[in-house]
Amino acid sequence: MLGLFGLLNMGARSLQVQQSGVEIAGQNLSNINNPAYARQRLQVQTSLVIPTALGPEGTGIQAVGIQQIRNSLLDSQIASESSVGGYWNSQQSALENAQIQLGEFFNQAASSVDSSATAGSAALSQGIAAQLSGFFNSWQSVAANPASLTARQALVNQSQGLADSLNQASQRLSSLSDSLDSSVNTDIGSANQALSDIADLNKQIAIGEMSGGTANDLRDLRQQKLEQLGALVNFDASTGADGSVNISVNGTQLVSGQQVVDTLQSYNAGGGQLLVRTATSATPLTLTGGSIQGTIAARDGALKTIRDQLDSLASTLVGQVNGIYVNGYDLHGNTGATFFSGTDAATIGVNNTLQTDPSLVQAGGAPAATGDNTIALSLAQLGEQSNAALNNQTFSQAYDLDVAGFGNSLSNANNQVSNYTALNTMLLNQRDSVSGVSLEEEMTSLITFQKAYQASGKIITTVDEMLQVLVNLKT
Amino acid sequence: MRVTGTSYTAALVEQMNSLTARQYRLQNQATTGQRIQAPEDDPAAMGQAMNLQAEISSVNQYAANISTLQDRSTAAFNVLQQLKTITDRIGEITTQAGDVTKSPDDLKNYATEVTQLTEQAVQLMNSKQGDQYLFAGTNSNQAPYTISKDANGNVTGVTYGGNSDVPESEIAEKTTLGVDVPGDNTSGTGARGVVKDDRYGADLFTHLISLQNHLLSGDTNAITTVDQPNLANDEDNVIFQVATNGAVQSRLEAESSIAQNRTGYLKQSISDVAGADMTTTLVQLSQTQNAYQAALQSTATILQLQQTLLNAIPSI
Repeated sequence: MLGLFGLLNMGARSLQVQQSGVEIAGQNLSNINNPAYARQRLQVQTSLVIPTALGPEGTGIQAVGIQQIRNSLLDSQIASESSVGGYWNSQQSALENAQIQLGEFFNQAASSVDSSATAGSAALSQGIAAQLSGFFNSWQSVAANPASLTARQALVNQSQGLADSLNQASQRLSSLSDSLDSSVNTDIGSANQALSDIADLNKQIAIGEMSGGTANDLRDLRQQKLEQLGALVNFDASTGADGSVNISVNGTQLVSGQQVVDTLQSYNAGGGQLLVRTATSATPLTLTGGSIQGTIAARDGALKTIRDQLDSLASTLVGQVNGIYVNGYDLHGNTGATFFSGTDAATIGVNNTLQTDPSLVQAGGAPAATGDNTIALSLAQLGEQSNAALNNQTFSQAYDLDVAGFGNSLSNANNQVSNYTALNTMLLNQRDSVSGVSLEEEMTSLITFQKAYQASGKIITTVDEMLQVLVNLKT
Repeated sequence: MRVTGTSYTAALVEQMNSLTARQYRLQNQATTGQRIQAPEDDPAAMGQAMNLQAEISSVNQYAANISTLQDRSTAAFNVLQQLKTITDRIGEITTQAGDVTKSPDDLKNYATEVTQLTEQAVQLMNSKQGDQYLFAGTNSNQAPYTISKDANGNVTGVTYGGNSDVPESEIAEKTTLGVDVPGDNTSGTGARGVVKDDRYGADLFTHLISLQNHLLSGDTNAITTVDQPNLANDEDNVIFQVATNGAVQSRLEAESSIAQNRTGYLKQSISDVAGADMTTTLVQLSQTQNAYQAALQSTATILQLQQTLLNAIPSI
């Protein structure tokens, strides 16, 4: 038999347990909008059973712990997928930026404008494709009016516009490449900070769990840091005996228990482009995921390809045009000058002397024959010829293919981001269905614990009344 | 599946983002009439559309070239017609001068007229379009013909300073056409000279001077036997030039029409490749806007239900 005082204790214990239940429901409700939070449950069991003549008799309820509802498989999947998301998101972002810098957008209205315009007026459109068409059309205009200074001036302006467009695209894409290097450095700094935070949390969790139980909130925070790190760089994680998470990247350990044993560092692998290695052991890392590698892949992949293609286009243009042009004669019978200067997209320019005197354009094939258009016609026809240096494409076709190829890279990144977003949403929903806080559940819990608390109070009131009866027996 | 407190709002945000992006895209398509704008939208179609645009640009340039050639050809035609009038009159003079009843004074009067007509023909053959001489070959910045006269004002010679080269322009891909004709062509190749071409025995000015001199000397026999057939041949040469010019103009007209048609087809092709189907676009836009409103309303209803749950607590 518990006796009246034992019964009183049972009521008091029950009150404490129900109060804890309300506290946990409150904690859950408070964190309902915290994405890193995993819901908690009060673990209870019947308290000590006392053997009596009537048989074992219960002594009520007691709280034995606070359980965090988590699915570690989902957690690790999300951390792993975040590196895929980081990789493609950073590629998408870099290539979208490159698409803007390239400035090649389709404008159907430009076709209508051109059709009513005069010869060589494709300069009204700003993209390199339109400038390229305009360049060869301007030579056509000069071929049709070889002695016309107006046609020659239009040619010089159009050519300068083409050179400017190539210069600007090259310069902007080069700046973007530099910005991506800065982005790599920034991400490396964030990754190192995350490594430090994880080691620190490993330590706090070990201390917190030393006396038993689970440091739920710290584990939530660590999971969040792991997902942040995953978005930056793909890593392998293993759990130590003390519950700490060890991190290694590309086989090199960076966090061991409570210590950061190595960090990430950028280095110049040649050509001024930054790659990643470990800071202490100077081991070059081959990354396969995360925003750092995504940025590097965009910089050294589609971005570098389109930059190289622009350079190839420009250098072929300079070589082919000058090769024909140098044999021409201007309106004064002079010959031997070049039309373009420079060697690539960054440096291509129009011979300065032509800017001030278009009569110096060497459009004729013979001296003192102002009506001769041999060279102008050859240069106009150059736009229709395929070039071995451009994979047997014409200049326009080659550039159009380059733009389509670049578009494919960005389109692929867009698709990968969509796929990742869909997959990640499903994983998050799945995790949310396990670990997320349900308003309905917690409100019901509140009511349940509130009612149980009221009932526990009734036990104490009843025992109190019984004791009162007992005490009054003496009088 | 267990639905939690953030599920509704997270799903709403995701759906709203997706629907807003879709609305933005459809709105752009509706306002521009284009299905693609950037390379990422449809890389293959973008490449194709750019190719087609470049082709339109080239065809427009061919049309501009054709227009330039038409202008020049028309200017040459006007000169050739006037030259034909002169050769007509010369033909009359040679016939009339061959009449043995004509007095020496009559013949001298004819000689004066021939001199005038020769000067007029030289002037015509030195015609310019803009600042370029029409019949100087590619030496088009200088007058092709220079006339020499003696003290009596009779023409003693006409020299040609031009060349026999003819500039060509593109009127279609890899198709060039030259509409110019040189005044003289003694090279034995190329376009037939208007005034002189050894291949066809044409030498108008030399034959005019010969006629003038025979008229002055009263040599009617030479006029009938030498000058008349020579000048008839020169006239045939001018007629040939007029006919050729007409044929060239017809071809230019045909090429201009082809270029115009091609532009139309190419624009249609661009529209097929890159244009937005307006009916589908507007229906999809309307559907997306409805979905947007439905997402907002359904979530608002669920949040209201949750409020009911919260309100239930104090009453328990």
